[in-house]
Amino acid sequence: MSIDGWQPATGTVTDRWRDLERDWQSVLVGAATVALVSLLELQIPW
Amino acid sequence: MNGSRLLPGLLTLCLGAILARALAASLGFSHLLLAIALGFVATNTVGVPDRLEPGIATHKLWLGGGIVLMGASISLETVLEVGGPVLLLVVGVTTTTLLTVELLARNVFGLADRLGSLLAAGASICGVSAVVAVAGAVRAREEQTAYAAATVLLFDAITIVVYPIVGDLLNLSGTVFGAWAGVSMFSTGPVVAVGFAHSEVAGQWATMTKLSRNALIGVVVLAYASYYAREAGGRRPSVRTLWDEFPKFVLGFLALAVVASAGVLSSAQLNSIENAYNWLFVLAFVGLGTEIRLSDLRNTGATPALVVLLAFLATSALSLTVLLAVF
Repeated sequence: MSIDGWQPATGTVTDRWRDLERDWQSVLVGAATVALVSLLELQIPW
Repeated sequence: MNGSRLLPGLLTLCLGAILARALAASLGFSHLLLAIALGFVATNTVGVPDRLEPGIATHKLWLGGGIVLMGASISLETVLEVGGPVLLLVVGVTTTTLLTVELLARNVFGLADRLGSLLAAGASICGVSAVVAVAGAVRAREEQTAYAAATVLLFDAITIVVYPIVGDLLNLSGTVFGAWAGVSMFSTGPVVAVGFAHSEVAGQWATMTKLSRNALIGVVVLAYASYYAREAGGRRPSVRTLWDEFPKFVLGFLALAVVASAGVLSSAQLNSIENAYNWLFVLAFVGLGTEIRLSDLRNTGATPALVVLLAFLATSALSLTVLLAVF
């Protein structure tokens, strides 16, 4: 798949993100972090 | 979201967060309060350049994300065990604050009805977001909204400094201090900041009690919208308002609390999630500090501030007394 094929998909994701209200965006931030930590075993240092 | 527009401000938040951590380690002071102080000093001395504004404005998103992740550290067992009395206290303090501000504003100080209602919502539920939500529902004038928001911000700035001092002076336990901050302070960010600045336990209790209060916003907006619509002879608002105004990150917080309590996540994963929310909170609090502008606070009127001060002192003292008796 050429890089051009990614652009419409990126646009759709960006539009959907913008349409979400901030509270739901916060839930997505939390869900994405949990997914990264649990599925990819990402270690986050402090 | 335009990434390149957000990047400068986001990088500034990250730099502020790293600086707050480094300073906290060398000064032995809370990194969260230092993060707020850094943002506050920056905005009130050199100011925040326009090109940093969009990225810095994302700080509320990181606060919400951090609260969702905090759900992983909460034991559902503990919540169910002591949740009943605390929920009763939350409803009691919220109702008392709301009615006291309304009574003082209308009957003692003669403030305009809508300004009194905005102050009551801001003081009793969740600060500026409650002011804005109720302002939309009751069609308040712009200057009334600005007045009420400035009053709430003034109390946020004062309580961020005063609560930790009182907590130390009275040697309050983490549970009592956290629940006290959660039921009596105004905005979510400062509540979480002073809670975690006291201790991990206090931070968790502060967040849980504050989220319970925030969850009441839909009911309060609906009640005010119905009251003012009836007064104006207009159409009554629908129950859908309850859902529209409900803070959705509370659902994320609860969902993660259920997942973590089910034992799905390993201790290493839980540790990473805890580190992630600590970082998100530091980012958020650097941004929160930039919102405390002295020029805005000067816009606070003396009478609205006095109304809120009297109600705040009464409910803060009452809730602390009850909490000391219960725990």
